[in-house]
Amino acid sequence: MTHKSWLTTFLEMAVIVFISALLGIAWNRTLLADAWRGAPAGQAAPVSQQVAQGAQQAEALPMPIALAQVKELHDSGQAVLVDARSATSFAKEHIAGARSLPLEEASRQATPQLKGVAKDSVIIAYCNGFSCHDSMELGKLLIKAGYGSVYVFEGGLPEWRDGGYPTSGGKQ
Amino acid sequence: MKGVSSSMISLALRIALGAIFIYAALPKIADPVAFAGSVAAYRILPYFWSYLTAAVLPFLELTCGVLLILGVRVRSGALIIGALNVVFMAALAAAMIRGLDIDCGCFRQDGPKTAPWVALVRDAFFLAMTAAVLRYERLRIR
Repeated sequence: MTHKSWLTTFLEMAVIVFISALLGIAWNRTLLADAWRGAPAGQAAPVSQQVAQGAQQAEALPMPIALAQVKELHDSGQAVLVDARSATSFAKEHIAGARSLPLEEASRQATPQLKGVAKDSVIIAYCNGFSCHDSMELGKLLIKAGYGSVYVFEGGLPEWRDGGYPTSGGKQ
Repeated sequence: MKGVSSSMISLALRIALGAIFIYAALPKIADPVAFAGSVAAYRILPYFWSYLTAAVLPFLELTCGVLLILGVRVRSGALIIGALNVVFMAALAAAMIRGLDIDCGCFRQDGPKTAPWVALVRDAFFLAMTAAVLRYERLRIR
């Protein structure tokens, strides 16, 4: 293969990557805009690395987690699910086994604490689905409070319920 | 006769590899948030980059898969697929070394869990298919 032929191939590859990136970004523009707003400038390392570096106090963000992984961690008891919605909404319905820590209540505390939950536990915050940002905010507060493995389940209660997984509550 | 069977094998490999990558791309395009969760589970990329990867990667897989099936820019498409396979294998190996018990997130995001080592073997097979496609393509354009 000639030098020129390789150059053509690399140019073609660059064009394919560029067009695919444009398509992907255009297709997911709303999702990416939301993710970008949740990501402060200068964010450069995942939560786990920042914890290791002791730099998590500043601007660390919880990591996203998908329904399948939430279900697995829920079933194996490896994670603590935290409901960021109001106590009233929690009483009506919540993911089975979850505990309530409304964002409003957590915001009032200097360092929100989850009683009986070790700082190295896996914590999954959720609220009312993609339009609800309380879980992300609660996740940030929990990271600031020193919890090292904090995730946000952005599908929240609606996705969990739609998946046919167990919920508790029912109090009006 | 030999030329005919060789071109048939080449065509079959190309279409199979293209179809696999289109099949892998579609569920990720349909549910980018779940795929972002799968990407984040590897604990390699920071928050926003998990989403950016989840947004772009499936379209790259789809484009390359379509090019392979159509027989257009085969060498470039196959080289990108090969490079993607190498990246996937590195990420899976890193997950295995760190003892992460995660789903590979390769195809369906809500299906049964695929262990990293199974996905690693599968990706090695796809990489071999890619090498074969590239070899046949080189022979064809000679």
